[in-house]
Amino acid sequence: MSLRDDFQPKWKLFLKWGWLSFAVFILMAPVFYTMYISFNELGFGAKYYVFTFQWYENVFSDKQLINALGWTMLLALITLPIVIPFGLLSAKLYKQSTKKVWIVFVLLSPLFVPADILGSALLVFFKNLNKFFTFISEYTGIYMFETWFDLGIMTAVIGLIVYTLPYVFVVVMITMARYRPEQTEAARDLGASAWRAFWEVEFPQIRAGVFSACAFVVILTFNEYTRTSLLKGGFDTFTSVLISQMLNTGMSEESYAMASIVSLVAIVIVSVILIVTAVRTEQLEKLTRVVKEPN
Amino acid sequence: MANKNAIEVKNLVKTYGDVYALNNVNLNIAEGEYFVLLGPSGGGKTTLLRSIGGFIRPDSGNVSIKGNNVDNLPPDKRPTSMVFQGFALFPHMSVSQNIGYGLKLKSIAKEIIISKVNKMMDLVGLTGLSNRMPHELSGGQQQRVQLARALILENDVLLLDEPLSALDAQLRKDMCIELKRLQKTVGITFVHVTHNQEEAMSVADRIAIIADGEMIEEGTPQEIYSNPKNKFTAEFIGENNIFTGLITELNKNSITVDIIEDQINILNKNYNVKKNQKVSLSVKSESIEIGINKKVTDKVNKLQGKVTEITFLGQFVRYLILLKNGQEIQVRTSHESKNIKLNDNVSLSWDLEDFLLHEK
Repeated sequence: MSLRDDFQPKWKLFLKWGWLSFAVFILMAPVFYTMYISFNELGFGAKYYVFTFQWYENVFSDKQLINALGWTMLLALITLPIVIPFGLLSAKLYKQSTKKVWIVFVLLSPLFVPADILGSALLVFFKNLNKFFTFISEYTGIYMFETWFDLGIMTAVIGLIVYTLPYVFVVVMITMARYRPEQTEAARDLGASAWRAFWEVEFPQIRAGVFSACAFVVILTFNEYTRTSLLKGGFDTFTSVLISQMLNTGMSEESYAMASIVSLVAIVIVSVILIVTAVRTEQLEKLTRVVKEPN
Repeated sequence: MANKNAIEVKNLVKTYGDVYALNNVNLNIAEGEYFVLLGPSGGGKTTLLRSIGGFIRPDSGNVSIKGNNVDNLPPDKRPTSMVFQGFALFPHMSVSQNIGYGLKLKSIAKEIIISKVNKMMDLVGLTGLSNRMPHELSGGQQQRVQLARALILENDVLLLDEPLSALDAQLRKDMCIELKRLQKTVGITFVHVTHNQEEAMSVADRIAIIADGEMIEEGTPQEIYSNPKNKFTAEFIGENNIFTGLITELNKNSITVDIIEDQINILNKNYNVKKNQKVSLSVKSESIEIGINKKVTDKVNKLQGKVTEITFLGQFVRYLILLKNGQEIQVRTSHESKNIKLNDNVSLSWDLEDFLLHEK
């Protein structure tokens, strides 16, 4: 049950909600304004507003952008099956460990390193690894791993794993916190192997958190610019195209449309996650409550 | 009851850092016995139960079930089933899915699972609730589902870890009767952990008292209640008054113990004690008779004190009496005496055999 103050005057409650709404409005106003402009045929700063989908059509017919969209999606799809099990294992380790502070510190530390510094550090690290593997290849005459750490998909994915793991860990950990370990013990006691106990008993109860984490990884991959730009090598991603177009030609009407698409997708996904999480939380509270009398 | 041992625990030790959760515990539990591990919280009884179930690996010692050493077997490979304290039902599965889960893991045919689940639901009194989800059940029904889920596997031993602690008092009493009936019906060994002595007394064939990681004492409920050998047991079971004193007289029939300002004379039940030895005595609060102060003629078998508190507890009344030596003792009577009031001086008397001597 949430903490309530029944004696609080109503105007204080209105004030709190008013302040919250104002803060959200200030934060989101530029995003909504961008969306508004993206539908104006006459573009930014025009005296008149003529509604159109033209800029969106232009965006989706832009081959470079569609190509970048494909690469970004590919990065997300490769990152997901690696980072989600990592996050799950980390959250399980956190739950079982007595040294929780250290696990949190280690797993969240990438969040405290600025993006450009982490990206540059990884870049230098991969370059050195490349030198090492080149040396090994030349020394052994086996050239198969010579190009392993050339900038490309693998290095970009590693950068994304380092970046997204803390988020996956936190989201899964929050969902897992409500899971009662007695249920795993009960499943083991009934004859389930550790894997079956996880898959058939624990996973269905933390599924919402895992799917939320997947959605976050996709959003973060689409939003990420600095680390991916430094580590991706030759291909373009959605944000790199968007930013380079803005830097080269200024904010075109297509840029507003692209920005609107990314914002809208992110807002929808985050809203769905929040709603699903809230509903799931309520369900779990109901499930774990011991009802004294049968319904 | 069969004499063969279902469970043998030998020299079991489990430590957490410097703390001994189990300190060289030895225990034999017979086949078909309803055995209760009773003790205060943190005493090691759950650790012992979980060691038997394979949820904890002891530091040293052995556990055998039906003569087979199970030290290296995980829970899913041991012939035991466990009923947990609470929250152990799978909330995303219906009642019948919960009960049949263990059989499903054994890849048993669906029709057989359905038939066995239905039989088990009838046995534990859950008929008609197969499609309910756990959150739609009362606390008692949830524990019945746990029981059915464990019993359906037909293992040799059922381990119950404080299975009734989340239930209210009346439901706990009903479930005790139900558990005892079930155990007699299925005939397997039940090992039940609880800190509630009433619960232990009502279900147990035998009780072991465990505290501070050590096996204090074991026996039938009658033995443990009426004739506790150990001072701790006397303190823990029932409502005993404990006295400490020095043996001043010792003969074949009786022992006299000096407590400060008074003497207590007890029957000598072949206690292994010597004169001038420091010992503990106990007497149940319900064994003491209380009366308005008269002239005490037999000083050895009577104590005097002042009533400091009278508490009406429904079925009985409890008097708190302050003795001359400053010790407070409890006296329990089945009805409130109209003559005894707060601050009255009273005399306390008892039968000789009511006092017990504890060497430890």
